[in-house]
Amino acid sequence: MNGQPTELAEEIKRLQRCINDLVSVLALSAMWSGAEPSQIAHTLLDALLGTLQLDLIYVQLKEVAGQPPIEMIRFAHASEKIADSHEVGVSLRQWVGTDPHKWPSVMRRTIGDREVSIVPLGLGLHGEFGLIVAGSERTDFPQQTEKLILTVAANQAFIGLQEARLLIEQKHLAGELDRRVAQRTTELAAANEELRKEIAERRHAEEALRSSEEKHRVIVEAANDAIVSMDERGDILSANPATQNIFGYDPTEVVGKPLTILMPEMMRSLHEKGFKRYLATGKRHLNWQSVEVIAQRKDGQTFPVEVSFGEMTHDGHKIFTGFIRDVSEKTKAVEALRNSQAQLARATRIATVGEFAASIAHEINQPLAAVVTNGHACLRWLSAGPSGLTKAQEAAERIVRDGKEAGEVVRRIRALFKHAPPDKVDLDLNELIGEVLRLLADEALKRNVKVETDLGDDLAAVEGDRVQLQQLLFNLLLNGIEAMDPILDRPRRLFIRSQRQNPDTVLVEIEDSGVGIENSEKVFEAFFTTKEKGMGMGLAVCRSIVDAHRGRLWAASGKGEGTTFSFTLPTQASVPS
Amino acid sequence: MSSQTPFVYVVDDDQRVREALSSLISSAGFRVATFQSAAEFLESEKQDAAACLVLDLQLPGTSGLELQQQLADGDAPPIIFMSGHGDVPSSVRAMKNGATEFLSKPFGDEELLRAIEAAIGLDRAARAKRSELAELQRHYNLLTPREREVLPFVVAGFANKVTAADLGTSEITIGVHRGQIMRKMEAKSLAELVRMTDKLGVPRITKPA
Repeated sequence: MNGQPTELAEEIKRLQRCINDLVSVLALSAMWSGAEPSQIAHTLLDALLGTLQLDLIYVQLKEVAGQPPIEMIRFAHASEKIADSHEVGVSLRQWVGTDPHKWPSVMRRTIGDREVSIVPLGLGLHGEFGLIVAGSERTDFPQQTEKLILTVAANQAFIGLQEARLLIEQKHLAGELDRRVAQRTTELAAANEELRKEIAERRHAEEALRSSEEKHRVIVEAANDAIVSMDERGDILSANPATQNIFGYDPTEVVGKPLTILMPEMMRSLHEKGFKRYLATGKRHLNWQSVEVIAQRKDGQTFPVEVSFGEMTHDGHKIFTGFIRDVSEKTKAVEALRNSQAQLARATRIATVGEFAASIAHEINQPLAAVVTNGHACLRWLSAGPSGLTKAQEAAERIVRDGKEAGEVVRRIRALFKHAPPDKVDLDLNELIGEVLRLLADEALKRNVKVETDLGDDLAAVEGDRVQLQQLLFNLLLNGIEAMDPILDRPRRLFIRSQRQNPDTVLVEIEDSGVGIENSEKVFEAFFTTKEKGMGMGLAVCRSIVDAHRGRLWAASGKGEGTTFSFTLPTQASVPS
Repeated sequence: MSSQTPFVYVVDDDQRVREALSSLISSAGFRVATFQSAAEFLESEKQDAAACLVLDLQLPGTSGLELQQQLADGDAPPIIFMSGHGDVPSSVRAMKNGATEFLSKPFGDEELLRAIEAAIGLDRAARAKRSELAELQRHYNLLTPREREVLPFVVAGFANKVTAADLGTSEITIGVHRGQIMRKMEAKSLAELVRMTDKLGVPRITKPA
């Protein structure tokens, strides 16, 4: 400093201006807060152009956070526009190169028709934000102060741009976040909807299942038939309310108990055996559809039921369900029908008897009419005098003849109803049995009946009417053979046994394997028959024959299995002579 | 017994009854013929005498009622039914179909013989009526076709002149026909000729054409 006051004052003034400019430039950052890079560029150019009296100023902003690159140029005087920003930019960049570190602090170049001193300044430590180029025609450009201001401005712009970049990036991130949140929200909403649908479907399925279960439950609850399930051990798993009506057990009471409590004693072991065999072999010991068996109520009373079985496998275990219908009423109805049929049959027999009586009346009436007429004729011939005597005699002879005949008819009828005392001779019953069996051999063969005998060899002779006793044996044996006609499931076997019961009595038994009889006394009544074409006389005749021989005849029948007819006859030795 | 003695036909399948009835009925002075079935009776030759039929209701083959039906159209004798049992519906049917009596076996002689007398009386009257008609028919058959043409005019009381005009012939010719008719029919008066034509069923003319 030479100490020249004007220069000094100039210098002070210049420095003061510089400080003012610096303050202005530093104030820019406040304006840039929150601004976008392009606004920053605008403000920077305007501020520097105004502050530093430049002729031109150029800025190039590289791509920042997705913002497009920006090139701007300002001239001090708009009319003096010498070239457009892009062309100038291209030239400027060629001049300065790409590496900010190699940039010259100032260079003199010609732009348009002017020579300009240009100063390039990088934005950012390595020019990563772009560059600023300030130009002035002044040759002393840039002065120190100008350089300072440019540098500070560039730094300020850099800070502002950095902030802007952060802001943009934040915005961008926020946007991205929003987008992601929105996307996630959409996805969640969709998932939610899906879930809702799924829930609805499941609920629907559950309802359908419940409704179907409900339906089945209602059916099972309302059924008139007892529906009882049991497991592989034969224990009851469930029973429906009808079980109460049919068996007298509360449905809850039987659960866990063996199924056999619903059966009479005699059937239990049979069921257990059959069930075990089924589990082991899969073979059913009875038909599973509508089989009729005997069941037992809680009070011990037995009754007929019709049972159908079903089987299902659940978790590897078999469950059996029985549908049990009480058929007592049906059975009773069938019985009642059978009874009324029997009554009808008897009524028919009685009608037949009526006809029989009518025919007997005719038999007697005819000779009687002849007798009366002949009697009248005889009287008339007698009253006619001697000429009529022969005629009268003839008429009288006819009266005798026809009267006898009427008597004979009456005798025949009486014989038919009342057996005359048997003509008694000594008889060997075994021999008689043999004779009758020979007579019936064909019949037995035809009906597939096996005849077996066990004839005692110590039988005493009986005194009796040979024909009548033959008739007795014939009736009893034929009855036995015919009784087995309905038997298809077991051998048809007729067994005849004779033995000396005691010194005074011989016993003969005739046993068949037929259906048995219900009333062992009724069968001996006249006109009682179970055969479609029977007269119901056979056993009645047998009884009267045995009675006439002072013996005894009776029948015994096991339930549904065969009948034994037995008769005893006194031996000859016991008959008082 | 003359050829005029009435005949009693007996149909019964029981020989004892036939014998007894034959004896009883002949003791009353009737001629008797017995048959054991309806067929046998139908095939037999009938006597030309007053008669009646004593018929058993229950016959093997054609029954008594069936035989009655078969005889209904002809000039069969009246029927007396007999039955072993008092079969009411059958007796009602028999009577409705014209049986004269229905007797239940055994019956009394008076009962039967009264019924036979009555039946024969009926048959006699029927026979007389039949023979008179047969005689008239024989006389009528003697008439020539022209005389049969003139007869209705005569019995209607038309004058010969009117009849002649109507038939397109002379009054004298009609007079000759009229004389022949009276002679051949053996009618003693116009009134008798009128009765004869009534019995024969000759149509009357009420008005000349």
